[in-house]
Amino acid sequence: MTIRTRLSLWYAAVMFVALMIMGVLLYYQIIIEPRERARRHPERHHTEQAIDEDLFEDVTGIVMWCGVPAVLLSVGGGWWLMKKSLAPVAGLTQAAEKISAFNLSERLPRTGNGDELDRLTEVFNGMLARLDDSFNRTREFTLHASHELKTPLTILCGETETALRDESLSAAERERAASLLDELRRLARIVDGLTLLAKADAGQITLTLEPVRLDELVRDNFADAQILAEPQGIQVELAACEEITVRGDRHRLRQLLLNLADNAVKYNQPQGRVTMGLRRTNDAAEFTIANTGPGIPPEILPRVFDPFFRGDPAHSQTVDGCGLGLSIVQWIVSAHNGTITITSEPSKLTTVTVRFPLLEVRLQMKKQIHEQRRSARDIQ
Amino acid sequence: MRVLVVEDEKKTASFVRKALQAEGFAVDVCHNGDDALAAARTTPFDGIVLDIMLPGRDGLSVLRQLRERKSMIPVLLLSARGEVNERVEGLNAGADDYLPKPFELAELVARVRALTRRSGENKSTVLRVADLTLDTVTHRAQRGGAEIELTAREYRLLEFLMRSPGRLCGRMMILEKVWDYDFDPGTNLVDVYIRRLREKIDTNFQPKLLHTVRGAGYLLKEQP
Repeated sequence: MTIRTRLSLWYAAVMFVALMIMGVLLYYQIIIEPRERARRHPERHHTEQAIDEDLFEDVTGIVMWCGVPAVLLSVGGGWWLMKKSLAPVAGLTQAAEKISAFNLSERLPRTGNGDELDRLTEVFNGMLARLDDSFNRTREFTLHASHELKTPLTILCGETETALRDESLSAAERERAASLLDELRRLARIVDGLTLLAKADAGQITLTLEPVRLDELVRDNFADAQILAEPQGIQVELAACEEITVRGDRHRLRQLLLNLADNAVKYNQPQGRVTMGLRRTNDAAEFTIANTGPGIPPEILPRVFDPFFRGDPAHSQTVDGCGLGLSIVQWIVSAHNGTITITSEPSKLTTVTVRFPLLEVRLQMKKQIHEQRRSARDIQ
Repeated sequence: MRVLVVEDEKKTASFVRKALQAEGFAVDVCHNGDDALAAARTTPFDGIVLDIMLPGRDGLSVLRQLRERKSMIPVLLLSARGEVNERVEGLNAGADDYLPKPFELAELVARVRALTRRSGENKSTVLRVADLTLDTVTHRAQRGGAEIELTAREYRLLEFLMRSPGRLCGRMMILEKVWDYDFDPGTNLVDVYIRRLREKIDTNFQPKLLHTVRGAGYLLKEQP
């Protein structure tokens, strides 16, 4: 049944009830009341003034006792009808809001009663299916492209390295081949990064999750950062390192920390400073890393996690890297149900903050969910 | 030492063969899995370099078949997919090492060498190269009688280099063995650590022991 038919039927029913009530009240006001009155005051019957007064009272009574309830009833009924018919729209809006590029395979719930909204849901789901399909194609394309690039890259790297081994090469030729090899390896790193991101995007990477002592990893990373920073005379400090355990993939967490430390050194200034800290907040493990340096202008701050995004074109000349570091960092953080934020005051401090749920909190949440499920089962 | 290279991509197979031959290995090449199994049945190889993506029977299946036959030949897996899960899958199937493509040739050669001499590794507790000594029990390093202070990481790096003196060690291999990183961090971490180590063991001494091979890696040896 379409919404139009259903609404009309419901409205007719409401009107019918309202009219019935109004009819009963009218009957009472016009037929019963005057007779009662006549019996109680038989002397008032004869004057014209008395008739007028009675009529006035009757009309006021009708308006008061029939009109007002009828209006209230139809307003209330109308409100109820609108609410009833718009309820699925609110549900649809909520479901549609939750859909993003990462859960395109989900579908909106259908009522199946064939009305306009059900039809709209069907069309919407169809659109989602087409979007999902084209997203998948893009993902597969990136994945296949990076696979296909690997074979020729392997050959190029191998042949260049073989050429470098040739004893008869002059110093200049050797230098040219070595520089070629450097660029080839950089290309190989980009392709590696792309493959990783494409796979992560397609949900094809499984993390080995286990309890990990985050403070140990941070201390380790601090030692590496000091070494990385030494050539530019940059000071590295570990402001805090509380004992914290999270559930995570050890290798990926180390990759994350090293990547952030490397950035903090790369985008610094000579004789600059890097400050790291690991602290426990109410429900999260919070890792911060701040560095001095030119900073990031506010207008490009939201885009720094985009693959290949380089804010300052001058940077791409001086700073070596594949341009995928922060995208990989962001993936690792979200794969651990964490959040990452970056703030920057130009030519002062740039701070990256990563938050992970604490192991205890996760365990508690799990327990809660488990208990909820069990009580739901008990009720059933 | 005789090594079998199983790789369907002819050019890759060719430069891998050349590089291994240059290091003194005798090299046989197959282009598919069935030939590889047949060759391994008739010839006693000291090691196999096995590509995972092969036409017909793939590398992992060849590896499982070999292990089912109770063959203990050391196997180095190569893969273009290069990803943690696959590495674990390969090692579980019985591979001894795993190298993602595109690899560095020097890295591949170093790994094959490490595989084929695994049993003969230097097990002594005091390692020695020229007048540099490293005690693996007390973690003390000395050169020419002078004590050298090392951080934990520097110690592990030096120990790794001293366990295969005169052999080239690739960057990825160092990252894997010294840092336990299974990814290429894209930083110059190794180079910076090598520089520091060189300052400690070489700056005030002759001859220089720690050498850099451009585009390939590092090695520790007495003669330049």
